[in-house]
Amino acid sequence: MALIEAAGLTKHYGPVKALDGLDLAVEPGIIGLVGANGAGKSTLLKILLGLLTPTSGTATVLGMDTVRETRAIRHVVGYMPEHDCLPPDVGATDFVTHMARISGLPRTAARERTAEVLRHVGLYEERYRQIGGYSTGMKQRVKLAQALVHDPKILLLDEPTNGLDPAGRDEMLDLIKRTGTDFGITLIVASHLLGEIEQVCTYLLAIDAGHLLQAAPISNFTQRTPVLAVEVEEGADQLAAALSAKGARARADGSRVLVAIESDALYDVVRDAVADLAVPLVRIQQERGRLEDLFRDAVPAGSVQ
Amino acid sequence: MTARSTGAIGAPAGGPAGSPAGSIYDLGYRHYEGRRNGRAYAMWSLFVESLRGVWGFGRPMSAKAAPFILAGLYALPAVVQLAFSSVITQQAAASGRAPELLAYHSYFQNFSFLVFFFCVAQAPELVCRDQRYQVLPLYFTRAMGRIEYATARLAALVVALFVVLLVPAIALLIGDVLMQPDAFKAVRDELPKALPSIPAGALTAIGLGALSLAVSSFSPRRAYSAIGLVAYVLLMEAIPAAIYSIGNNAASNPADKLFLLSPLTSLMGATSWFFGTPLNTQDFAGSLTPADYLLGAIVSAAIATVVLMYRYRRLPA
Repeated sequence: MALIEAAGLTKHYGPVKALDGLDLAVEPGIIGLVGANGAGKSTLLKILLGLLTPTSGTATVLGMDTVRETRAIRHVVGYMPEHDCLPPDVGATDFVTHMARISGLPRTAARERTAEVLRHVGLYEERYRQIGGYSTGMKQRVKLAQALVHDPKILLLDEPTNGLDPAGRDEMLDLIKRTGTDFGITLIVASHLLGEIEQVCTYLLAIDAGHLLQAAPISNFTQRTPVLAVEVEEGADQLAAALSAKGARARADGSRVLVAIESDALYDVVRDAVADLAVPLVRIQQERGRLEDLFRDAVPAGSVQ
Repeated sequence: MTARSTGAIGAPAGGPAGSPAGSIYDLGYRHYEGRRNGRAYAMWSLFVESLRGVWGFGRPMSAKAAPFILAGLYALPAVVQLAFSSVITQQAAASGRAPELLAYHSYFQNFSFLVFFFCVAQAPELVCRDQRYQVLPLYFTRAMGRIEYATARLAALVVALFVVLLVPAIALLIGDVLMQPDAFKAVRDELPKALPSIPAGALTAIGLGALSLAVSSFSPRRAYSAIGLVAYVLLMEAIPAAIYSIGNNAASNPADKLFLLSPLTSLMGATSWFFGTPLNTQDFAGSLTPADYLLGAIVSAAIATVVLMYRYRRLPA
């Protein structure tokens, strides 16, 4: 039995179709849920949590129906919303303890779990200070802590790296990865940043305009023919033409030329072509097959970063 | 702010005193195998947290100021009378006249505005914060329904108001007992006079609590909620009085029924029913009896509760 299943899931907001006949089955792991803004990620999460009732279709979490067995589901899921959700005038410890008790943990257990979870997310003595004085990174950690405190089996994270600087982003992703691999908790990470999904997830669900676009292990997307990106200051088109003339699969992409590496000899071909044309070279680097490729045709340029 | 507090989400990097704490203290993640309580427990937890919140416990000192000052001001006349009870007795003995004392049945009528200010200050505190800072989804994705949430919040405000209303009654009772030479006889005499304070206080607490929470829940901003509540109560007190005064010269004036819409007036009238005292003609015009006001207060409280529940059913999460 799949952990999460949806069949013909449809949600309309008036004339807007947020989800349109979505079918999916999710196995345990760290699952990336990607899509452009407005693709229906948050709507899907809210339906799984029972916050929204689908217009039609069904969804189940651990075999429990999201409409009829909402309460049972809520004991086994944790939810970290996309938006700010913390009152500023209490300390992190008090807040997370309170949330643990609302989840049904007895007083002592709530305190112990709070201390443990806050330590896990990396909050130490500052956890007694009022949340209003926290940085965005610390707030995100408190949000994750309150979602984890009742030890859920499934954790739904909506844009967990929202508003974080690059360092904070990496730390949050590392935390997500550890939560998934060390604790055996299934995470569904909704994001519009494909780069993040690539870093931490084992499985990818791509949705667009309420439809399922792709669902496969992440390795399917990243293990493909390696590509060499040759970045030049000018003359990308000539270089691509020269390489194509020599039998390489190459195409110009802005100031870069992307070449499929089919054999080792190709590196020499590229070197010679660059030298012959005397184009100003900036860098040569190997690229993995990127998830972005997925969206190149499906999504208008610029809507996915 | 220290470098650590802005840094490392990853736990091991930020152990105490910069030590590689992760390797020493990190016990790994343990799953929770213990008891999980149900809805009643969740509601109780929220009730306790709300009750603490109303009085500002667990919050900064500034949050304690408003509730304690207002509750203190409401109790002040009774406490002063208690403090000077011996002086009052001596003077009464010297002058030979019975002292004019604050009465249980008219205390709320005289000082109700202070209880109302308490609602204005603290009801938004209970329902606006969670809307303003979008905490509600965290509750609604847990073992807590919307109706249960609203019920727990309402119960906390009602209990807080009940305490506010009862403290002066207790102070009056103690003062009255101390003023008499025979304490046992005094308790026997005074207690029956004081006891209606309990049901009257309960009804007033429910009526004011439900009304102020229902009005407050319509705005996530504390200030707007407070202004809305003041505006609603002032208008509902003023409009019926104005309409009534227009037709005041007529032999019978059916506009007096409108006084049932005035929240404070109907609660004062209902208080008189519990104490069995007549309505004073200064504050109560028209032909309505205390029983009419009692019924009006109960119906108003029920309507306010329904509105509050309806509001929480409809709130987006």
